[in-house]
Amino acid sequence: MNHDLSKLSEIYDRYPRTPQSLIAVLQDIQKEFHFLPCEALKQTAEELSVPLSKVFSVSTFYNAFSLVPKGERIVRICVGTTCHIRGAKQIQEQLEDHLKIKAGETTEDLKFTLEVVACVGACAMAPVVAVNERYHGSVSVASCKKLLKPSKKT
Amino acid sequence: MVSLTINGKVVTAREGEMLLTVTRRENIDIPALCHHDAVEPFGGCRLCTVEITKAEWDGWTNYVTACLYPVEDGLIVQTHSSKVNELRRTNLDLLSARCPNSPEIRQLASEYGVTQTSFEEVPDADNCILCGLCTRVCEQLGFKAISTVGRGHSKQVAAPLKEAPPDCVGCLSCAQVCPTNVIEYTDTDGMRTIWNKPFDLIACSECGKHTITAAFADALSTLREIPRDYFDVCDECRRKELSLKMGSIVAWSQEEAS
Amino acid sequence: MRIENPQQLEKLRESCQTQLGKQTRKLLVCCGPGCLANGSQAVSDAFKAAIEKNKIKDFTVEALKETGCHGFCEQGPLVVVEPAGTFYTKVRPKDAEKILEKTIGQGELIEELLFQDHSSRQRIPCYRDIPFYSKQQRIALRNIGQINQCDIAEYIAAGGYTALVKALAEMTPQQVIDEMSTSGLRGRGGAGFPAGRKWSTCANADDLPHYVICNGDEGDPGAFMDRAIMEGDPHSVIEGMTIAAYAVNAHEGYVYVREEYPLAVVNLQRAIEQAQEHGLLGEAIAGTDFSFELNISRGGGAFVCGESSALMKSVAGEVGEPRAKYVRSVLKGLFDKPTVLNNVESYACVPAILYKGGKWFSAIGTKKSTGTKAFSLVGKVRNTGLIEVPMGTTLREIIYDIGGGIQNDRPFKAVQTGGPSGGCLPESKLDLPVDFDTLTEAGSMMGSGGMIVLDDQTCVVDLAKYFLSFLVDESCGKCVPCREGLHQLYGMAVAISEGRATEDDLDKMERLSDTIVISSLCGLGKSGPNPFLSTIQYFRDEYLAHIKDKKCPAGICRELIRYEVIADKCDGCMACIAACTPDAISGQKKEVHVIDQELCTKCGACKAVCKRDAILVL
Repeated sequence: MNHDLSKLSEIYDRYPRTPQSLIAVLQDIQKEFHFLPCEALKQTAEELSVPLSKVFSVSTFYNAFSLVPKGERIVRICVGTTCHIRGAKQIQEQLEDHLKIKAGETTEDLKFTLEVVACVGACAMAPVVAVNERYHGSVSVASCKKLLKPSKKT
Repeated sequence: MVSLTINGKVVTAREGEMLLTVTRRENIDIPALCHHDAVEPFGGCRLCTVEITKAEWDGWTNYVTACLYPVEDGLIVQTHSSKVNELRRTNLDLLSARCPNSPEIRQLASEYGVTQTSFEEVPDADNCILCGLCTRVCEQLGFKAISTVGRGHSKQVAAPLKEAPPDCVGCLSCAQVCPTNVIEYTDTDGMRTIWNKPFDLIACSECGKHTITAAFADALSTLREIPRDYFDVCDECRRKELSLKMGSIVAWSQEEAS
Repeated sequence: MRIENPQQLEKLRESCQTQLGKQTRKLLVCCGPGCLANGSQAVSDAFKAAIEKNKIKDFTVEALKETGCHGFCEQGPLVVVEPAGTFYTKVRPKDAEKILEKTIGQGELIEELLFQDHSSRQRIPCYRDIPFYSKQQRIALRNIGQINQCDIAEYIAAGGYTALVKALAEMTPQQVIDEMSTSGLRGRGGAGFPAGRKWSTCANADDLPHYVICNGDEGDPGAFMDRAIMEGDPHSVIEGMTIAAYAVNAHEGYVYVREEYPLAVVNLQRAIEQAQEHGLLGEAIAGTDFSFELNISRGGGAFVCGESSALMKSVAGEVGEPRAKYVRSVLKGLFDKPTVLNNVESYACVPAILYKGGKWFSAIGTKKSTGTKAFSLVGKVRNTGLIEVPMGTTLREIIYDIGGGIQNDRPFKAVQTGGPSGGCLPESKLDLPVDFDTLTEAGSMMGSGGMIVLDDQTCVVDLAKYFLSFLVDESCGKCVPCREGLHQLYGMAVAISEGRATEDDLDKMERLSDTIVISSLCGLGKSGPNPFLSTIQYFRDEYLAHIKDKKCPAGICRELIRYEVIADKCDGCMACIAACTPDAISGQKKEVHVIDQELCTKCGACKAVCKRDAILVL
């Protein structure tokens, strides 16, 4: 798969080229490419003077990063305590069944990634499902599939 | 200097020393699987946990890892109290569940009464106890070729991107420091392979044995500013050479004396 | 303009107040986490469009403010009209024009949008009269929901930055620390360490430089207080941190924001830039020679990074593995230098303490736990939302007087506090005061402020299993007792929930928990067994029901329950068939449906969609 790696230098220019910037740089790369391409990891190691082993270690430690491409729309089901007791598991099962993938996976056409996230901080409106940057509260088993329909707004 | 009591005996120690250094000096045997003098203490295996108290604590005790706890004046330490032994036993029981096939873990666990784990064995277990010594030693040497990957129970030690690690020089420090001998390597026909990376071994110009990779020799040469051809002779031959030289110096000086 | 002295700030404050005073009515649309998830952005956009369309006398779009969390999330999207405090609930975009025309334009109330008290059925027009609000005392949350948090002018008009400028002009760092000690402020992140003492230790540390960090890694599921503060009043955090930096002689600081809070990052970044423009942050603050540079450090997504030493590793761009705390991070913290690390809510309190005095703060709450505490009151309670009450308020007052009791009048079972490190307390403990020490003595802990109310339809075994699964996932993996021990403990909890455990297993779990608690390296491991230990303490019978009777009394643990259709209630609407993912339900339209027990996975989706209450859990 070809990625426009020329965007990388723009990302490196945003931060001091030191090991301290590693997590911020990786987050920007993740946002740009929807995952962390191998080539990007190697280049990052060089640009920030960080050993490749450490870049790999950090990329695999934190929840934010993925080494495999994610879908256009990331559906994050909150499975925090409040969402859990208000039925998040059933919503997860409904969406997994509908998209034919398990949480943590991406559809073959790369349109959807399904994820569970521990808490997005909108607990009063549990259960919560976020699609990209948009949060949806009080989601029900009946209504959750509607969230997957393409919305007219971004 | 600091004065403390270990298992009832009063000992002295230097300020800033860790309890484990002192107990070792006193020939007290405390397991410490993730500890090695070449690297900073880690506190991961928790087996070196000891019980501490002080007179002014009114009987309150704390449990700390000896490898990381600095000595204090008036500290009272028990290295094998019944509670400490219980903690070590349970942690060894847990390690036996993780590495049921490791002879080293089995041996150490049996010293604390665990012959078979009472927990669920991890399926398809390898013998890595995630002590991190391999990665830390590699980092200490300056190569930083391998690291821990992932987090939690599925954490592993691996080469970056699970490919041949670009920074590895084949020095074998990781394999040598591993308490459960997990890291595999092969040395055949002048080639070494470790972490799926092949290395050329240098043949000693004296005896022909292969003892060091060319990559490691190159690295040492740069890092320690040693002439590269130093490594064309292996350590053993160098020692022989040196002892011969020493022998002839002694013989000459004896001649001179008489 | 750059502020060079207290008089200039005072002048600016007056001018901001005058400017804002021209807005005779203010229309506040709550854009806090709950309301945003409920669609409040669309409501705000509808207002903007309506204001554009219909010109109302003395009312411009500047008087429309998208605020932070107003608090009463259950009733959102919320719209408040000040100065009357008119409180509209569950507002939809289509209501915007009517509100503008009637309430803003003519000062009339729209009855059906007003809050209705659950028991008295009375409509209460002003939010300040609603018990949910009237029983609170907001200090850390003082500005949230009241001001436009994206405009520093509003923060200044509300008295912001006065404390900082006064401290720099009139107080020595030691005097600031003394004021903090007098206030008795204890760390709001949950550990409750006295802030004054922490700042004093750092200030007196010889090694330089010193650092100031804000822990915005609010990882406890169920807690969103810090999110609300960072998004809704970012300047309060900045001001608090700057005051701390002055007190401890630090010139560089970080706000560590967890990865899951992107809006907090945006709002904080904007606030930092505004403060810098006004000379209230950065070089030569307020015309003095004190400089403080503040940066945002984004987390990568790891609960363990809420632990201070792990957080500092993360700021340094490394994996968040904690280190043993025998040498405290206040002496050896970020880059091994003396560091003050405090929670978001702690910093938010600081300007108020300096402004009104430490004595004022210490007079609120209890002797050992002074001041107020913010809580996210969520779960099966009627009034979910963000609240702040004096320390010492009882659980009963919070859950019933403010929270309005249990949803659907179901029986109360327990209240879970302290996140995964905390525990559950039963009905018999409801009269305990909430503070740093009392709940801990009872086997739980106050924690960072997440308060989750549970009814009889929650299974404590399932809850313990849930928390253990979370902790196993979030463990950094460095030490054996946490990495291996919690994994085994979780496996045993699963066995109980599936009816495969024995009573001996409970003893085994208790003994294993003891080792994990004592020998784990950091707080995550040490408090890891708490979900099990606190539930077994008060709900042993429920565990025994799973073990001996192979039953789940709450009807949650799937291996131990059965779903059945009640024939005389089913009207054959086929809604459950549509929802059933393993296709276990059969039946034609208008015919009684039947669940095939072999195929049924007990997921509960059918019961969730059944409008006839025709599905029973046995």
